Amino acid sequence: MPALPLDEAGKYVAGAYVVFMALILIYVAIMAVKLQRIERELRELASFVEAAAGDSGAQSRHHPARPDAGARAQGSQSSSVRPSGSGGRADDV
Amino acid sequence: MYGKGLKPLSIATVATLAAAFSLVFFYAPLDADQGFVQKIFYVHVPLAIVALLGFVGGGVAAILHLRSGDRRWDARSYVAIHMSVIFGVAVLITGAIWAKASWGHWWVWDEPTLVSFLIVFLLYATYYPFRYAIEDPERQARYASVFAIAAGAFVPLNFMAVRLSESLVHPRVFATAEGGLPGSMMLTFLVALAGMALLWVTLVKLELTAKSASGQLSRLRRALDAPAESTRPPSRVAPEVS
Repeated sequence: MPALPLDEAGKYVAGAYVVFMALILIYVAIMAVKLQRIERELRELASFVEAAAGDSGAQSRHHPARPDAGARAQGSQSSSVRPSGSGGRADDV
Repeated sequence: MYGKGLKPLSIATVATLAAAFSLVFFYAPLDADQGFVQKIFYVHVPLAIVALLGFVGGGVAAILHLRSGDRRWDARSYVAIHMSVIFGVAVLITGAIWAKASWGHWWVWDEPTLVSFLIVFLLYATYYPFRYAIEDPERQARYASVFAIAAGAFVPLNFMAVRLSESLVHPRVFATAEGGLPGSMMLTFLVALAGMALLWVTLVKLELTAKSASGQLSRLRRALDAPAESTRPPSRVAPEVS
């Protein structure tokens, strides 16, 4: 097993490997933040849909003869209670 | 969909890279000419090979996009190029460190290998402003694919031109008349190359998974925003990236 000569050369070798590891870690950290944002937005969307489904269920109990009541309730909810950040993103390839 | 198999792939990547770095520092002999500095070779060269192959892969995915019209190929082409640009940054920095340690300069402008890689890197750096300057998603994908194919064809041509050029400065360790790398160094290099290739594939898969999830989320939001439009076929609402 060769000894690690941490002299002048060792500084450069360590630098190269640290740069490589740092770049990978930065990239993985950015991806983790992105995935957390997606997860948060998904949670918001799920709670919104559950709330809308609850409202439409209540309305259909009051007006059972109108089949479009649920869709209308959902439509009115989506314009007022809609979670933020729904615009199209440039990176949605 | 892209997330399937990501966990075993990640484990394989970490294991291979750990094995490669162990071989680099505890198995591969010191180079007779350069000494310990030559250890940079095992991270710099595999990164460069994988980055260049990734650029070509982006071009191949772009061809498949233009042939099929399937936006998923455009996403793959985009992510392949994106990842290769990141690898390219690592190649340029590790190469500069190696150059400083070996030649005493961070950069040597009359060295064809260095300058040609910089040209390829800068070419692909223009991919992003070119792509996002076009607002219409269909045109954006089509023009980006044409760019990816043209630039992808340039990469092997550039590589061959550099190999044909006669330089005595940048080391040539493969397919030389003297026999190239000794066995222990070659084994270490091949494991490092496999590790870098696995890393590239894992990160591409991770980014495609994130993009797919983000795209599906956007489609859900749009469907909730406009319930009347939800009766249209899904492909008309937004390009499918799943």
